[in-house]
Amino acid sequence: MSSVAKNHSEKLPVLSVENLIVSYGSNKAVDNVSFSIKKGEIFGLLGPNGAGKTSTLSAIEGLVKPQSGNLLLEGTDMQKHPAEAKANMGVQLQSTSFQFELTIDQLIRLYAGLYNVQLARRDILNSLKEIGLESESGKRFKQLSGGQQQRLSLFIANIHHPRLLLLDEPTSGLDPQSRRQLWDTIEQNRRNGGSILLTTHSMEEAQSVCDRVAIIDHGKVITVDTPKGLIEKHKHDQRVRKVARGKVTLEDVFIGLTGNEIRE
Amino acid sequence: MNNTPEPLHYLRSLLQADFVVLLRNRRAILAGLLSPIYIMFIAKSEKTQARLGGSHFLVVLAVTLGILSLALMGYAVNMARDRERGVFQRLRVTPVPQWTIMVSRLLIQVLISELIAIVVLVVGSRMNNITFSAGEYLSTLLVALLESAMFLAIGQALVGLVKSASTVTAVSSLLFAALLLTGLLGNSGILGDTFQTFSKWTPVGTIMSVFQSVLHQVAWNGHTTLSLFACFGYIVLCGFIGIKWFQWEAR
Repeated sequence: MSSVAKNHSEKLPVLSVENLIVSYGSNKAVDNVSFSIKKGEIFGLLGPNGAGKTSTLSAIEGLVKPQSGNLLLEGTDMQKHPAEAKANMGVQLQSTSFQFELTIDQLIRLYAGLYNVQLARRDILNSLKEIGLESESGKRFKQLSGGQQQRLSLFIANIHHPRLLLLDEPTSGLDPQSRRQLWDTIEQNRRNGGSILLTTHSMEEAQSVCDRVAIIDHGKVITVDTPKGLIEKHKHDQRVRKVARGKVTLEDVFIGLTGNEIRE
Repeated sequence: MNNTPEPLHYLRSLLQADFVVLLRNRRAILAGLLSPIYIMFIAKSEKTQARLGGSHFLVVLAVTLGILSLALMGYAVNMARDRERGVFQRLRVTPVPQWTIMVSRLLIQVLISELIAIVVLVVGSRMNNITFSAGEYLSTLLVALLESAMFLAIGQALVGLVKSASTVTAVSSLLFAALLLTGLLGNSGILGDTFQTFSKWTPVGTIMSVFQSVLHQVAWNGHTTLSLFACFGYIVLCGFIGIKWFQWEAR
């Protein structure tokens, strides 16, 4: 690659989502959503239940076909070249389930094979040691604890060192220790040059981990900024002031902009 | 950018994984192996065998029972259960084409069906003191291949039309019993001529006609040819329904 081409490729956002629309029948789950993620950036999608976070992610993952819009991975059209896009993306789904009958070792071999990654037995054991599962390699997925399942799931999502990692509520249901450990892994991933798009309900997570956050509701992006920037931008908004108890937090901004009502 | 993986590489990984999954699914394997042997055991008396259509017929009926059981209790139930667990969604976000996920499962099912057919033929010939020539073994295995494709297509249609795993389990048990009984009782004629005629055109009835002809129990005739076409018809129809209405997600 020439230095000019390399320079151009490094300036390209890792992911560009442009005017994305996803519909299920007459229900528009994602309505004209646009955002982009830079190299090495951790980008968070925040939104109440049913806001369109998972549908946005599903469209990027290639699990649902968008009604319209562009999805570009380092400039490559993901809808025209899905296999190429998927080979450069790692995914952790909201309710990840691997084949119950396979052992951890067999699952790693399967997914390494699907991404054309050559792993010797020693490599697998070293990797399992890194994520604290070295003594569990013969166990089946269902025999692992929630935290162990999440660590394995994140490891498999990262097995081919993707440009972009998509994490759908990666810390839901985890205890504080496992959550912190997962944040460290995400941070380490970023240090290695990877970009991450994650969805979360946790404001603490968004504030601790994300470089930028988009708040999404009713399928539309309401606002995008750094967590601090969002607070600064909206701290004088009447809706935010109304729900704030003292100093305005990211949660106040979130509830102020998306409303108090409970979503199913 | 990473390159897309080689088809041979990912197909091998999928086949290996699906093979292990099916082997560890003891209930389906045991039902596929033990139920045919059990049926040959309880129908061991000459009188019963004569009523059912002879010892050769009994052995291939047992093969049919094993393959039917594996297709419905193994393939259809596992597909529905894995869909509900999100296993397919996890595989679909990898760079492998979607059809390979399905083809890998089907190939492993066909392979295990053939193995079951061999075991049942060997055990059946020993139990009933009958011999199959090499040609009869080969032709029986070829028909077993067709049979496996037909029952897998029926299983596919079931998971295409029914989303819930528990409903698929219940319906496949009922379907298994219904298909088996029409084959078992239909040929005997004990339920009357109308039922016998009807049973000849059911999936089990048509495949049994083909089996009888390849084992020279009945000469190959117009009915056998039509039965063979009917088997292909079931494969095309059920396969079409199963693929057209299949959804990767249970929601």
